[in-house]
Amino acid sequence: VATDRLSVIFAALADPTRRAILARLAEGDANVTELAEPFAISLPAISRHLKVLEQAGLIARSRNAQWRSSSLRAAPLREATAWMEGYRQFWDENLNRLDAHLKRRLREQEEQQT
Amino acid sequence: MSELFLTRIFEAPRELVYQAFVDPDQLSQWFGPVGWSVPRDTVQIDARPGGYQRFVMVNDADPAMTSPASGVLTELIPNELLVATEEVTTPDGTYTMTLRLEFHDEDGKTRLVLRQGPFDDTVEGQAREGWMSSFTKLDALLAR
Repeated sequence: VATDRLSVIFAALADPTRRAILARLAEGDANVTELAEPFAISLPAISRHLKVLEQAGLIARSRNAQWRSSSLRAAPLREATAWMEGYRQFWDENLNRLDAHLKRRLREQEEQQT
Repeated sequence: MSELFLTRIFEAPRELVYQAFVDPDQLSQWFGPVGWSVPRDTVQIDARPGGYQRFVMVNDADPAMTSPASGVLTELIPNELLVATEEVTTPDGTYTMTLRLEFHDEDGKTRLVLRQGPFDDTVEGQAREGWMSSFTKLDALLAR
């Protein structure tokens, strides 16, 4: 998974309002007015948040201008989990190498003492 | 929000394990996943609270592929604790990722406890977080 793509996803997820929007969409599709309800912010501000989420591929928006509903896309969220798994694998390999390194150092120390 | 949690026992005293992270000569000898190296001349470490840890991982097969790391050492207790934060830049701004390393002595061996995060993970996790923050906003609004 390309890092820049994930950066866009995480940038989108970094904002609490956008996460709340995703949480609302997890319960079902909604239009801008419905999404704006829990927040003390304007409709244009909600629209800007939706645009960020759409660019990250986290939501899809219907073309119907009258009732422009948004729906949640789950795939990028699974990529985000994959991102963390990438780090886990990174540390697993890294700590294996640390283990080998420490064994070398201990051997060297023993050889110096004898 | 979720974090990565790993723990591992090393058959070495914790002074040695700790040194492996803060001594530039040591770090360059082991750091990086398989297929990557950290050239000694890229490593700069100022091992004190408020100091820094900077280095570059270079791909062995294609040295043009590099991955720089630059962390601020926010907490540091020799042989016990290392906390580093790194600013991750995204098109929408920056956020801070924290790496916490604890070195525990276990009869001459060392238990390393590693935490790194935050990582947003499941829809459920974000839902909880998102709703909590919107409830907080709502509370503030109602309290006016």
